[in-house]
Amino acid sequence: MSVFVKIEKGRYIDSLETLYASSVLVEQDGIVAGYVGVGNDPFKDTVTSSGLNSPDLKEATGNDLVIIAEAADKAAFDAAVAAVYASFEVEASAQVEESFVSTKAAVQKHPEINLCSVSVPGEYAYTEVKKALNAGLHCVVFSNNVPLNQEREMKLLAREKGLLCMGPDCGVANINGAALVLSSINNRGPFGIVGASGTGIQHVAAIMHEAGSGVSQTIGTGGNDCKDAVGGIMMLMGIDAMEADPETKYIALISRKPGDTVLPKLLERIKTCKKPVVALFMGCDREVVEASGAIYASSLDDCAIQCLKLIGIDYPLATEEELVKIASEEVKKYAPEQKYLRGLYTGGTYMDEAANAMIPRIGAIWSNCPIQPEWKLEDSYVSKDNSCVDYGEEEFTLGRPHPAIDPSIRKPAILREAMDPEVAVIVLDFILTPPGHMDPTGYVLDDVKMAQQVAEAEGRHLTFIASVLGTTADLQDKNKQERQLREAGVIVCQTNYRAAVLASEIIRQIKEG
Amino acid sequence: MDCEKILNLFRSELITVNVGPKLLATSLEMQGYKAYQVEWKPMAGGDKEMQEILTLLGGVD
Repeated sequence: MSVFVKIEKGRYIDSLETLYASSVLVEQDGIVAGYVGVGNDPFKDTVTSSGLNSPDLKEATGNDLVIIAEAADKAAFDAAVAAVYASFEVEASAQVEESFVSTKAAVQKHPEINLCSVSVPGEYAYTEVKKALNAGLHCVVFSNNVPLNQEREMKLLAREKGLLCMGPDCGVANINGAALVLSSINNRGPFGIVGASGTGIQHVAAIMHEAGSGVSQTIGTGGNDCKDAVGGIMMLMGIDAMEADPETKYIALISRKPGDTVLPKLLERIKTCKKPVVALFMGCDREVVEASGAIYASSLDDCAIQCLKLIGIDYPLATEEELVKIASEEVKKYAPEQKYLRGLYTGGTYMDEAANAMIPRIGAIWSNCPIQPEWKLEDSYVSKDNSCVDYGEEEFTLGRPHPAIDPSIRKPAILREAMDPEVAVIVLDFILTPPGHMDPTGYVLDDVKMAQQVAEAEGRHLTFIASVLGTTADLQDKNKQERQLREAGVIVCQTNYRAAVLASEIIRQIKEG
Repeated sequence: MDCEKILNLFRSELITVNVGPKLLATSLEMQGYKAYQVEWKPMAGGDKEMQEILTLLGGVD
């Protein structure tokens, strides 16, 4: 076995092409391990940390295609390289109708273009967004790691021009019925949502869809918009737009606690808003929110419920008593040493929501992004007692797509946690979106089943608890995804919060004996 | 704030130009929306010094 490298100068491929090409490479005969990417530092780090290295790698830059693999021999490597190149041809034939060298060129040929979706590496986002705004386009910016001063500048420019700048780091927005970036496909309806949390918007909109209602538009502002350094520019513009939009009858606002200088501005704006507003400002007191005239929401589930109440829909979610009852059935099944839960999450919002639901019942939740700093896991690959890990964190995703698109980041953790004899409960979240994996639950079912079989053979019982974020209109179909899980013996909860309550209630009852 | 341009967007057919992974453009097409792709790559092959020079010269587009 030796390491072989192929470098093609001046050929750039994006992170998703990288993922696909890497999967093609490692499937080839005689290839033990390998990667395809551009020779930037994150790629070189990934490659070298996985044990593959070659002096040739040094000469590659972020604009060069690199194929590196440990292969049986040179002939096997050459054949694999040919297969990777063949896959590029297939990808090219599946390309969108028309492509251009720049946004300007695209707009010159098609002046009817009205939105620019920007998801280049963060250091280049500012330049690309400015070009698009100057060309008169609204923007949705998925790029992350954009400095806050640049975010503020691009939003000031957008405001000056009367254009939307959703993001940076905007994962969810639904415009005119289209699910942008990592959104779900939703029914249209009377609710306009403006949110600084992508998962939050997607969650509330999905419950509205489920309840037979829907959204007029949803504007994702990016998670930093309501920080003092950015000033809530897009949140305020979003309220203005929803108030002016005749299709929007009710407005929902979602954010972590806005910055000290931003919160008063938002509350003042809500006071003068002519349409009913439901506000979920996590960590803000009820009285403060209600004094603005807004309807207070205490959580993502509550935000959806309060919205639906406005149109006379009472949406039933499992009560805590019902979850306690399910837990009391589960606790009868475990071996004496089983006493911990492990949460494997694809995103930070859901992991935080889950950890906050679990802590009052079972205390410390160890994590790579803990609620309290002293609960930080030393190694994100080695869980401890009750742990929750966010696989959407940069340490897992640097140079790779989000786990909703590439679920392989989280997959190995399922069996790893299941093999720990002290584990009783494993919690999983799944996110449905058009660019996402086409069968995210099906992708892990073999691991779930194997985990259950191994546990059973060793005299243990493993409880898998899951929630699926998405809708029946999503290409993956929420109903189908949930059915597959149930058929594999997974307990499917209506929402992430409820999955976390059930999981921690089981652990609490085990502790109480 | 004057929301006319935003309301225009809400009233128009959504037509997107995508600067980044093609998957995001194809996923819009899969939903029945028009999308065009920009074949983006880092300016000056990612060479920071050269990028600064090009930016001073007005950039390349």
